[in-house]
Amino acid sequence: MGEEKGGFEPKIVGFTCNWCTYAGADLAGTSRKKYPPNVRLIRMMCTARFDPMFAFKALLNGADGVFISGCHPGECHYIKGNFYSRRRIAAMRTILKQLGLDDRVKSYWISASEGVKFANTMKNITEEIKELGPNPMRDKIL
Amino acid sequence: MKGTELNYGDLEGVLKGLLENKVVDCLILPRRVGNNVSYMLVRDKDKIATPESVIFAPSFGINAANIVKGWMIAEKVGIVAKPCEIRAAIEMIKLKQLNEDSVLLITVDCAGAFANEVYAANYADIGDQVDSAKIKELAGKGISIRDACAICDNRLADVGDIAIAQAGGEKAVVAGLTEKGEAALSAAGLSLEDKDLDRAAEKEKIEAEAKQNLEGLPKISSEEALEEFLRDCIVCKNCRDVCPVCYCKECFFDQPLGNPVGGDLLNLAEARGAIEVPTNQLLYHLTRVYHVSTTCVACGACEDACPKDIPLTRFYPVIAKKVQELFEYVPGKDAKEPLPFTTYEEDELEEYLK
Repeated sequence: MGEEKGGFEPKIVGFTCNWCTYAGADLAGTSRKKYPPNVRLIRMMCTARFDPMFAFKALLNGADGVFISGCHPGECHYIKGNFYSRRRIAAMRTILKQLGLDDRVKSYWISASEGVKFANTMKNITEEIKELGPNPMRDKIL
Repeated sequence: MKGTELNYGDLEGVLKGLLENKVVDCLILPRRVGNNVSYMLVRDKDKIATPESVIFAPSFGINAANIVKGWMIAEKVGIVAKPCEIRAAIEMIKLKQLNEDSVLLITVDCAGAFANEVYAANYADIGDQVDSAKIKELAGKGISIRDACAICDNRLADVGDIAIAQAGGEKAVVAGLTEKGEAALSAAGLSLEDKDLDRAAEKEKIEAEAKQNLEGLPKISSEEALEEFLRDCIVCKNCRDVCPVCYCKECFFDQPLGNPVGGDLLNLAEARGAIEVPTNQLLYHLTRVYHVSTTCVACGACEDACPKDIPLTRFYPVIAKKVQELFEYVPGKDAKEPLPFTTYEEDELEEYLK
């Protein structure tokens, strides 16, 4: 509460797959790419492990943003896990869009070799969420 | 399509014939209770009396498909119900909650239904069956059909195995929609002829009307509006229990993580300073709407079951419809069509992830 827009540092919960985006984040680190430290990554073996309930819970508990990323479609370590998760994420975002909650959800595909893309994406989504301001649900009794 | 035109009085014989000739081992049929309508499970054909006075009755209490949830035995059950109920049963077949080989789905035409307490209270005005003109006339008197029925675009008997369609006056067309349905009707002793049950013009009219009614429903379009909408929810989970397509053996919200007690509650309050109790009000509905988003048949049973009279039709079917449009999926249309979350295409949906 009471944070000025300029000084607001969002907390973003990131759900990333072990094989691509998490390794991409690792590459960004080892190649010393700078990016804002606002994202807290949660590593899962595959984006197919991502349950939309995770995003609902994060948002209701006051996360300023939710970031989901895994292997590019067609490059899943488990062959087709992200095809299924793509359908679930699209359904989840369709639901959230109707309720006006979708703008805090960001989904990307970032591979293990895309350290630069990972760093740039972090910069961009942090900026976008700063623009939105703090999640109003954080200080509500929910 | 094969079928035959009958007088209303002959329907009793058709249903009795299904039982008598062992086409089915039992039938789920609507029955009259005072001024109201409920369902019965019939084994003895002599318990069937004047079904024509009740199978078209515009009253909705529960979704009949819910009765056969978990019917995995070999004995055959026939269900005579409205299109939304039959569509729910078809979704249950796909969800492996109902044995496809042991169910005979018999759909009746529906013009829209009243909540069953409304129906009972106004039985003198409503009568045994209605058409769209009668519904408009009743609406003028302040007796309105359920919101779920007003936005329903699947009112004609065109799903399931057998259709019982109103053919004007005291006539009905009984027709087999599948081979199984045609075989069942022949076995029940009906002589079938080629029958054309194409009602495209009527369907178009219903769809246009439904679309208009859907647009007229108040929208829940912000987080504040959602909170306000669910303010009175007591998280009794009745909407889940009556929902035909909500089927988990043990619901997440009955488990410790979804239904925290004691120390878990205290810890949650510790983390946030204060929490709403009963807990997980919003999370429960958000999760549930996602779980039913592809299979919701928009029957509105959730709204009828809500003890707090929350108009849940504005939430579950309306939101689910958008998800179904995304996958171009109509729940309950065809038991052979895969559920959207069990299949995929290699190149799709990228525009929805931006």
